[in-house]
Amino acid sequence: MTPALVLRFALRDWRAGELRLLLVALLLAVGTVSAISLFVDRLQRALEAESANFLGADRVISSSREIPERFRELARQRDLTLADLITFPSMVSPAAEDSPRNQLASVKAVTPGYPLRGTLRIAEAPFGDGRITASVPARGEVWLESRLFPALGVRIGERVSVGYAEFTVGAVLIAEPDRGGSFAEFAPRLLMRTEDVPATRVIQPGSRIDYRLLLAGDDDRLADLQEAIKEELAPNYRWRSIRDANASIGRALERGESFLLLGGLLAVLLAGVAVALGANRYARRHFDHVAVLKTLGATPAEVQWGYVGVLLVIGVAGALLGLLLGIVVHLGIIAVLGSFLPVTLPLPGPRPIFVGLVTGFICLLAFALPPLLGLRKISPMRVIRRDLATSAVPVVTYGFASAGSLGLLVWYSGSFFLTLWALLGAVVAGGVFATLALLLLRGGRVLGMQAGSTWRLALAGLQRRYRENVAQIMIFGLAIMLLLIMLLVRTALIDEWRAQIPEHTPNHFVMNVAPEEADAVQALLTEQADYDGELFAMIRGRIAAVNDVPAAQWHKRRRGPGRPGPGIRSERNLTFAEELPDNNVVVGGEWWPPEGTEEPSVSLEDEYAAALGLAVGDTVSFDIGGLPLTATVANTRRVEWDSLQPNFFIIFSPGALDGYPATYMTSFFLPSARKPFLNELLSRYPTVTVIELDAIILQVRSIIDRVTSAVELVLYLVLVAGVLVLIASIQSSRDQRLKEHALLRALGGTRRRIAGALVSEFAVLGVFAGIVAVVGAEITVYALNRQVFELSAGLHPWLWAAGPALGMVVIAAVGYLATRKLVSSPPIAVLREV
Amino acid sequence: MEGELTILDGISLDIAAGAQVAVVGESGSGKTTLLGILAGLDLPTSGDVWLDSTRITALGEEERARARARSVGFVFQTFQLIDSLTALENVMLPLELRGDKRAKEDAREFLSRVGLSARTTHYPRQLSGGEQQRVAIARAFASRPKILFADEPTGNLDTRTGAKVADLLFELNREAGTTLALVTHDALLAERCGATITLEAGRMRSDIEQELAS
Repeated sequence: MTPALVLRFALRDWRAGELRLLLVALLLAVGTVSAISLFVDRLQRALEAESANFLGADRVISSSREIPERFRELARQRDLTLADLITFPSMVSPAAEDSPRNQLASVKAVTPGYPLRGTLRIAEAPFGDGRITASVPARGEVWLESRLFPALGVRIGERVSVGYAEFTVGAVLIAEPDRGGSFAEFAPRLLMRTEDVPATRVIQPGSRIDYRLLLAGDDDRLADLQEAIKEELAPNYRWRSIRDANASIGRALERGESFLLLGGLLAVLLAGVAVALGANRYARRHFDHVAVLKTLGATPAEVQWGYVGVLLVIGVAGALLGLLLGIVVHLGIIAVLGSFLPVTLPLPGPRPIFVGLVTGFICLLAFALPPLLGLRKISPMRVIRRDLATSAVPVVTYGFASAGSLGLLVWYSGSFFLTLWALLGAVVAGGVFATLALLLLRGGRVLGMQAGSTWRLALAGLQRRYRENVAQIMIFGLAIMLLLIMLLVRTALIDEWRAQIPEHTPNHFVMNVAPEEADAVQALLTEQADYDGELFAMIRGRIAAVNDVPAAQWHKRRRGPGRPGPGIRSERNLTFAEELPDNNVVVGGEWWPPEGTEEPSVSLEDEYAAALGLAVGDTVSFDIGGLPLTATVANTRRVEWDSLQPNFFIIFSPGALDGYPATYMTSFFLPSARKPFLNELLSRYPTVTVIELDAIILQVRSIIDRVTSAVELVLYLVLVAGVLVLIASIQSSRDQRLKEHALLRALGGTRRRIAGALVSEFAVLGVFAGIVAVVGAEITVYALNRQVFELSAGLHPWLWAAGPALGMVVIAAVGYLATRKLVSSPPIAVLREV
Repeated sequence: MEGELTILDGISLDIAAGAQVAVVGESGSGKTTLLGILAGLDLPTSGDVWLDSTRITALGEEERARARARSVGFVFQTFQLIDSLTALENVMLPLELRGDKRAKEDAREFLSRVGLSARTTHYPRQLSGGEQQRVAIARAFASRPKILFADEPTGNLDTRTGAKVADLLFELNREAGTTLALVTHDALLAERCGATITLEAGRMRSDIEQELAS
């Protein structure tokens, strides 16, 4: 067959409507996949860019040593933007000589250009909202964080000294992008220029200094730079990206991406099923066509290549149109979501386009080709013997489809685990479902014997064509299952994210409250802020001995020399508590009774205890400002460090710390409108330290919100693909069903009864498919949540009612709509057409 | 096990070029199977078939298809037009498969020969049974076959239409000098052929008579 002839055949088939379902399925496969990947690609780029704000850069090299000039040179050669940053603690005092006030500050010295990502906000008065600025302090100028103003008693324009140098206070520093989510930097910020650092003479050998080189630019070039200096980085320089820098954001991003991929992956599967169904129907409708062609002298090879050619034509058309559709849909999504999305999305890379096209062709090869390949085997004798058995779909077809999906999934997701679990779900589903579907059909038939005539007709029909119906239940079940999986995982993810930072999460910490001020501060907080907690005592102390073995010796014996780990002798914050704090769970031993214990007891954080080799029952001696205290380990706790509550490694039983020098701390929620209250608090209690986390919490929340809306959007796209599968599946079984029902009508069945029987049949199929889907979804979601998303997993009882109900309503409705027209046309027309 | 079913047994016949032969017999006597085997649509479990001096039983499926394209035309009881193609396209089909450049013109000519030049753009379902069979006849003759196989060509038509279609078939056949093998259980139709082969339970009547005589 010449290409021109193939094209002509394809056009004729198209005109006759034979190829429409196939093309639409393909169009949607390519369209959905490219829309999802275009959107995800752009969103990922945007999210990465936004997350980069947390670093103030795309990548950061940090070290306690000066950053070698060579790194800068190599970065400049790669057209990367850079800025330098030095952080160190230093005392700051007002320049007026008689001032007694001084305050430890965390000094950050920067070069112009800082920050490379995100923005600085400054204000003219402490605790204001501030405005964005593109500049950094001028030489000889410093910007102070709000709380330094009451602490030092200075105003803008006045002078402060840092080490041996004096500076003018230029502005109030309200927010810096890379403030960091940890509590490592308790001290308030002072921002200055790196050029001014030498004059302070603060940097001495042995000072605690953090040098950073901020880098921004093209991903490939950054990776190239990392590769170039890889050898020189270890062990003194750390290369960091946002994923390393902030664990909770990194995790949210990763899970979000996994979910989007899962969505894309399921969309591919669903679209593939739709393509397979479309191709199957096309092939089946062409059995006679092929037999005639063969009697007219078409050879099997010609038949085969002819149909492969038609498929190719459809493939090219479907892929190109699908791509167009994908672009339009993703633009539509962006238009609809405009207000939720970052201001401008970066342009997509070439990958989504490629993904869309390759998906289209693999769908064709794996799902559409096999049924068409079977056509060459159609016997020409079929033209004179209609009853001649047509060869069943060969087993190799399923092999093709499985191999195709597997390849597509692994390639598309790039995640072996995700693919494995999704596929495992499908395989388990396949085996269990076929049996389940068969049993359901059998059971249904028995029940149907007692039912009214419409139902009897429907159930008998189902049982009669049980082979086809088992297949159809599995397809419906698969579609519903994939949708349920998406829904469940999405719900679990979003709940988890929301739970991570609930509304009214404490966004300020107050520390260093003197014991005699504690009650007054607590009263003030209760009155002015959203606060109903209690103050925690905070006492600095270190472990001196374990079971009478000196700590250093204990540690060496346990770890061997030179092994990294938390230092046993580092100073820690100690506290006491009557009740187990929120967000803590006892994992070993038991929490003490509220009245405390006779002998001092201590509760240790689980991982901390494990790292130091401490267990329940051990005796630990502490050194608290030179005073000894010995306590028995009563229990170990798991602590949720992300909770933004005061958390402690070491908690004593009530009374154990009485008489030791303590300060108090707590966290509270303060809405931004009431921020000026901090001024009052700090003026009244100048020694108190306030740590503001509100800006960081806002940032984290905005990222999570965006990931959430992306996740929901992908869910909708998968839903569309799912409905398409349902329609394709109903279409593909339409001919057979209609023929039967047309015969019934010819025999005198009323239109009403036939429609009733059809709807009942689809409804029963829907219920069975729903049951099958729920079983599969529960298994898969359990595995996915445990293995991929690391979420807690459990069964969903509501699903067991909702799944079958959903299946019944949706499939009955779609089934009825898809067959309605033909039920209402005269039986003779139906008999002729099919 | 049901055991093997013998449908045709001991059939031996020659059809000379240009001859018109009717194959008759009751339902299930093996007429259709015989036609399928003669035309190379199916293979016998044993025995040989020569078609236009080619031993088609020795050929693979590909070659048999080519042999059909070269020298065989068909008319079927159920017309076997392709629903998705117009009358003209149906007639063009064998010509297109052969790569005939003049497919459209030839097809048009044959459609006018069967009196359907006004219905070229109609689809099979828009045509009556008689019209559909005339399209099928045009398709069969358009490729100018040496041998025409007809399987109950009037079986699905009423008597009057059937007679007209039969007239057309024999007229075109005479003009083209085509060899005709026609399966039917219509005695009148069979009589119009020069020779008749009667099948009974898979065997030829003449053979049976001989056996009885001996």
